[in-house]
Amino acid sequence: MFKKVLIANRGEIAVRVMKACQEMGIRTVAVYSEVDKSAPHVHLADESVNLGDPTPSESYLNIKKIIEAAQTVGAEAIHPGYGFLAENPDFAQACADCGITFIGPSARVIKLMGDKIAAKTTMMKAGVPVIPGYHGERQDVDSLVKEGKRIGFPLMVKATAGGGGKGMRIVPNEDELPQAIESAKRESKSAFGNDSVFLEQYLAKPRHIEFQILADEHGHTIHLFERECSIQRRHQKIIEETPSPLMTPALRQTMGKAAVAAAQAAGYTNAGTVEFMVDGDRHFYFMEMNTRLQVEHPITEATTGIDLVKWQLRIASGMELRLKQNQLSQRGHALECRIYAEDPANGFLPSIGTLKKVQLPHGPNIRNDTGVESEFTISPYYDPMLAKLIVSSETREESIEKMIWALSHYVVLGVTTNIPFLKQVLDHEQFHRGNITTHFINDYFKDWLATKRSLPLDAILALAVYDALHPQREEVVRYKEADPHSPWRHTGRWRMGA
Amino acid sequence: MADGGVTRMFINYEYDAHIYPVTVEYRMDRFYISYDNNEYTVSAVELSPGALKLMLGDRVIKCVISERQDSKYVFIDGEVFQVSRIELSGKKKAEKKEGDLNSPISGTIVSIKVKPGDSVVKGDVLMVIEAMKMEYLIRAPMTGTVEKVHFKEKDQIEIGQLTAELRKKEA
Repeated sequence: MFKKVLIANRGEIAVRVMKACQEMGIRTVAVYSEVDKSAPHVHLADESVNLGDPTPSESYLNIKKIIEAAQTVGAEAIHPGYGFLAENPDFAQACADCGITFIGPSARVIKLMGDKIAAKTTMMKAGVPVIPGYHGERQDVDSLVKEGKRIGFPLMVKATAGGGGKGMRIVPNEDELPQAIESAKRESKSAFGNDSVFLEQYLAKPRHIEFQILADEHGHTIHLFERECSIQRRHQKIIEETPSPLMTPALRQTMGKAAVAAAQAAGYTNAGTVEFMVDGDRHFYFMEMNTRLQVEHPITEATTGIDLVKWQLRIASGMELRLKQNQLSQRGHALECRIYAEDPANGFLPSIGTLKKVQLPHGPNIRNDTGVESEFTISPYYDPMLAKLIVSSETREESIEKMIWALSHYVVLGVTTNIPFLKQVLDHEQFHRGNITTHFINDYFKDWLATKRSLPLDAILALAVYDALHPQREEVVRYKEADPHSPWRHTGRWRMGA
Repeated sequence: MADGGVTRMFINYEYDAHIYPVTVEYRMDRFYISYDNNEYTVSAVELSPGALKLMLGDRVIKCVISERQDSKYVFIDGEVFQVSRIELSGKKKAEKKEGDLNSPISGTIVSIKVKPGDSVVKGDVLMVIEAMKMEYLIRAPMTGTVEKVHFKEKDQIEIGQLTAELRKKEA
């Protein structure tokens, strides 16, 4: 096993990986940018290296600086987390070239799966079903529009190098196709440095269901069941669960086999995820393979009892996978909510600022994966996800109740978060019934901004008590002079400018 | 703090462009709060800095409050309200001009679709701003003519900054 591992990431995932390393007796090295110098992941690490400029390309995306840091501190391996360099084949190759173990699959596999077209071709050859579409070389707008007409509308435009919803567009009709192609290409160019796109048929009632894979370097590949990630906003997951309410034992077996076949066809090693779209008739199609640890991996851990990060470390150090497919089982149900610094009432725009107070909910089977704390500043440089909240229970209904309780006790003051929004999604009748699709937020919460209510009486009373307990000296004088008979005293709330 | 045993405060809270006038008196360990022609008698404990437990009759209200320079955050039952206090000097907030063309986000301008003098139809894309690897479109809030464009491509823009100015087409 490794003696020292560098974690090339920040936030909650850096913290989560470091804890696994430390439990296993491995020394941990953090890297950080200027704005993260007092971030939790830096405090947790045994050593840390300053990468300087907070711009991602100068810090967490800078291959040269990170490799140099690993060499300077003598780290034998690098864990990339997710995002940043996790799915960058050049980084995996650079590690290999320097004799550093990259904790993940080989550069060749990352490159193959990162090219969505090559990945689909590989899957078709392996007998894994894929969605009809255009994955060709011709990338001029006219050719793409022509192919779009052949596939039919609505259709999806997706970045070949994409992920996380970036460079992705849903196009309802032919008229909007040219602009969607141009904008997807521009977004993809800026996010991934590649403006190649492909087109795909748009499925009715689509659900996003993925399978967790573990594969060692000795030819063993297993799956650790599914995760349903259909609840998404802006094509990014916000609530994930396992088991999926759609799943039947027969479908799970078929999809699990397809996922293992997909991983084997790619020559996959380490932890990965095979993502499928499943339509209303339970037909499933390969979407893509994520060649890294997923954000939502904790719900698999909560229901299988298996620590995925520890297995990543063991597999990367050459150990054989001891887990056998027929010995694995899931118990109960787990849910994850992603806590974002964003405003759901304003198009989910990221909010930035300083966290004045953070208080996490605690209780049986409640897990907090977080990389922030009180007084930490949320900068515009990085993804606005603050933390993940994971709960598990015997049944789905119990998990939903527990999650709503936990969210109601989750205090984040200073930046706007999606917590109230998450609660309402979980409490929606159709969510309780398990009738979810990737359109759920759009279908039921599109006009959520209209539900902003007035300040509740409890808040008014609490503020009055707080202000009476913490008066400022000049206020006491001023308010003593205030006219107790003023008509304002007998008014309820009123609107400014009205 | 309870100077002479009694503190009376007259406070105007502002939330979402509404004013909530409140008076609070603190005497003999009780808070007497008047709001909207009702008086509430409340006892309270500060469990930890900012964490309050209020008792109103047999009802318990729990909340967490934290302060920033000009406003307070109140956390109650999973919801957060950002509230400020205002003086009743008759000052009103500046009226929002029709057609908000302020940037909703801090980011980089990746594309500008119009130049001064261009005619635009309500909903047309004027500018594309990228932040946190996502794109935000600035659309024309009305039909009219572009008067000024305040930025050029690749410029940095801060939240709230005016992107462009339009002159409304007279009906």
